[in-house]
Amino acid sequence: MGGASPRASRGHLTLGQLALTLGVLAAAALAALGLAVSLGSVTLPLGKSLAALGGGGDALSRTLILELRLPRALAAFATGGLLAVAGALMQVLLRNPLADPYVLGLSGGAAVGALLAMLAGLGSALVSGSAFAGALTATLLVFGLAHGTGSWTPSRLLLTGVVVASGWGAVITLILSLTPSRQLPGMLYWLMGDLAHARAPGAALGLLGLVCLLVVPLGRSLNVLARGGLQAAALGVAVRRLEWLVYLLASLVTAVAVTTAGSIGFVGLVVPHLLRLALGNDQRLILPACALAGGTLLVLADTLARTVIAPEQLPVGVITALLGVPTFLYLLHRSR
Amino acid sequence: MSRLETRGLVIDVPGRNGGDPLDLAVLPGQIWGVLGPNGAGKTTLLHTLAGLRSARAGSVEVDGLPLTRLRRRRLAQCLGLVFQEHHDGFPATVEETALIGRHPWLSPWQMETAEDLALAHRALARLDLAALGGRQVSTLSGGERQRLAIATLLAQDPGVWLADEPTNHLDLHHQVAVMRLLAEQGARGRGVMICLHDLNLAARWCDHLLLLYPNGETCWGPAESMLVPEVLERLYGQRLASAEVEGSRVFVAVP
Amino acid sequence: MIHRLSGVVGLLLVLLAGLVGQASADEVCAIDDTGREVCLAAPAERIVALSPGATELLFAAGAGERLVAVVDHSDYPPEAGELPSVGSHDRLDLERLVALQPDLVIGWVTGNPAEQVERLERLGVPVFRIEPREFEGIATALERLSRLAGSKAQGRLAAERFRQGLAELSARHEAASPVPVFYQVWDSPLMTVNDEHLIGKVVTLCGGVNVFGGLSRLVPRIDEEALLAADPEVILAGGRGEENRSWLEDWQRFPELTAVARDNLFFVPPSLLQRPTPRLLEGSRLLCDRLEVARGRR
Repeated sequence: MGGASPRASRGHLTLGQLALTLGVLAAAALAALGLAVSLGSVTLPLGKSLAALGGGGDALSRTLILELRLPRALAAFATGGLLAVAGALMQVLLRNPLADPYVLGLSGGAAVGALLAMLAGLGSALVSGSAFAGALTATLLVFGLAHGTGSWTPSRLLLTGVVVASGWGAVITLILSLTPSRQLPGMLYWLMGDLAHARAPGAALGLLGLVCLLVVPLGRSLNVLARGGLQAAALGVAVRRLEWLVYLLASLVTAVAVTTAGSIGFVGLVVPHLLRLALGNDQRLILPACALAGGTLLVLADTLARTVIAPEQLPVGVITALLGVPTFLYLLHRSR
Repeated sequence: MSRLETRGLVIDVPGRNGGDPLDLAVLPGQIWGVLGPNGAGKTTLLHTLAGLRSARAGSVEVDGLPLTRLRRRRLAQCLGLVFQEHHDGFPATVEETALIGRHPWLSPWQMETAEDLALAHRALARLDLAALGGRQVSTLSGGERQRLAIATLLAQDPGVWLADEPTNHLDLHHQVAVMRLLAEQGARGRGVMICLHDLNLAARWCDHLLLLYPNGETCWGPAESMLVPEVLERLYGQRLASAEVEGSRVFVAVP
Repeated sequence: MIHRLSGVVGLLLVLLAGLVGQASADEVCAIDDTGREVCLAAPAERIVALSPGATELLFAAGAGERLVAVVDHSDYPPEAGELPSVGSHDRLDLERLVALQPDLVIGWVTGNPAEQVERLERLGVPVFRIEPREFEGIATALERLSRLAGSKAQGRLAAERFRQGLAELSARHEAASPVPVFYQVWDSPLMTVNDEHLIGKVVTLCGGVNVFGGLSRLVPRIDEEALLAADPEVILAGGRGEENRSWLEDWQRFPELTAVARDNLFFVPPSLLQRPTPRLLEGSRLLCDRLEVARGRR
């Protein structure tokens, strides 16, 4: 990110710039995935890793690479990409650069669902299902409350969401204080975000690809929407319809991300910001760039979380924040 | 070429009951001025005409079709608006902002073409903004920003222009330049409706006037029939003096 | 002011001396696991236990009928479940605790909120803190608690039985061939124990080699990759409750693990291992048996 080439050509978006920027980011993503697959608490020589990727090599390295590292790295990529895209969408929807995927209480609902399932001692599949149900409940609750009043504005949606989110926060605290201490570590790791149990990245990756395709035709309308609802309507955007579509899309995307890896913070807030600083605010570029850069960031963060004090593990959410905060502050400082 | 008509239109000004129904037509080539004191509903009228808020009664039609029957994108090709206020939550360059005017003319899958870019550049040049293309909008002065909004509408090139105090923040030279631009649009067969505070600009540039009174009364007609000192004094609740300068009427508020 | 204060202190000293002198016949003392000596004028009659482990130890030491309250999750022996609770071990209901007027509270060194326990001491309630980290610590805890509760004979008997049982186990498995063992405390996140942990010591006692014994944290969180690389011969899992085999079945994903290939996936009821109480002996026997089974499958 922040490379010299995209920054220099800041003007209106051209196909060439789009291809170049996304190409650079895709290469970075591939490199990050490569790194994630070749690093772990077990040291594998590069040759063995490559052989395992090709389906050869010994059984242990095949299991390590194909069954543990690769699915986890892909899940990290999908989750990071989804969160960054959801964050960018929420920021445009609420016309507020401080919005993140969780601002409307979605992660709170998911957390309540997940923690209740953990409290009941259910297995990880049911925990994920319960988290997803919680996320959808939160989405529909805010949708209903903000919609039911007839006229709504982004600030009304934001207020509704923030109040509902703090309600979820209280419920989470309640659950945590009623939980036997034995079960607490699992819950805390979930709340901080953890990829250890993300085994099937297929659905999340598929959604990420789908969203990237979907935002291509929506991109220019989103650019106009970012200028304000009235201006957008005057320029031919069906504002209300677009806003609900964006809200539901961002919610679905966040729900899948949270279900995959718990509520990983920071990625959804800061990746869109970083990219706007470097690339401007054309959603047709920013949204796919978010998918790639968010994914890359989370893959790198998860690799660090797995290896820094290996074989012991850190929660990945801690790493995203530790990596992202200084990078963000530095770029912010440099851009003024 | 588009034709904007109102049928029994009563705009929805909060806290005001009733109001005269409006039955007027902005025909291609006409320059309408909307005059009235603060709070009379000038901006509300413009937003209602653009379909951005609903009327209390009556309807607005473009080329004989009610606004509610038109798709927003089609509407934006017929009808464009310069807002009085400008928001910018996100960073954007001057060029990008002008280019946004082309939005209603592009299909969802299309990128802006070289022709769109040329239109945007021409619009910026027309408003003396060509040199500022790469600047961030947030760094512009009030007047520059106002001209950028007009340049965006010029790039949009709708059939009917609705402009809410387009001369706000502008120096005298740019006031005249903008009014001349709007007059040119009339000459190109566009219908133009401008909310104005400056009676003299209205007198100099508009061929039709609509007067909005705070109590909802309205009257409209050809400019020369409306520019009667007694009528305008009642409109603003302000004593006026008038004189003839270089062939056009000039009004001055007298304390 | 100072004069008056010194007067008060003087008076207190006289009173205290009188008390000590008077009670010396019945006085009982014991040193707790933080090294502090706790003395009671007479054996305790009303005891509150602030950890499920302490409750078990008190019952084993013959002081069960002197317990007036426990904390949540004190489920063994079954009689303990009938006693009133003073909240969870990490959030005590001090009001209720004080209202019960205990003359001895058995604290948990790292499990109770330190400032709540100190508050209790400031209110004049004697607190005896325990947290055995060695087998011998469990034995002496039985003896020390029985001394404070006036059930010395039973305590000594229980301690002896515990020491003897462990000595037998140790003798039987001393020369057994080592078995690489992974002990799973929790599945999400994946957690194990190191050699310092009592469970780690049980593994060693039975002739097992804890594959993560060398890690520095008592209960480290690890990743599956490290486990695959360590390739233990036996995987022992606790569980959320009793007889929960889902954690073990999860390992079937990796058929190349020696433990999976030989079907050396064993459930050990966590209640028998996770508390430093005499039941640990029972748990140890079970664990040793499992390792014997694994040796037989070589």
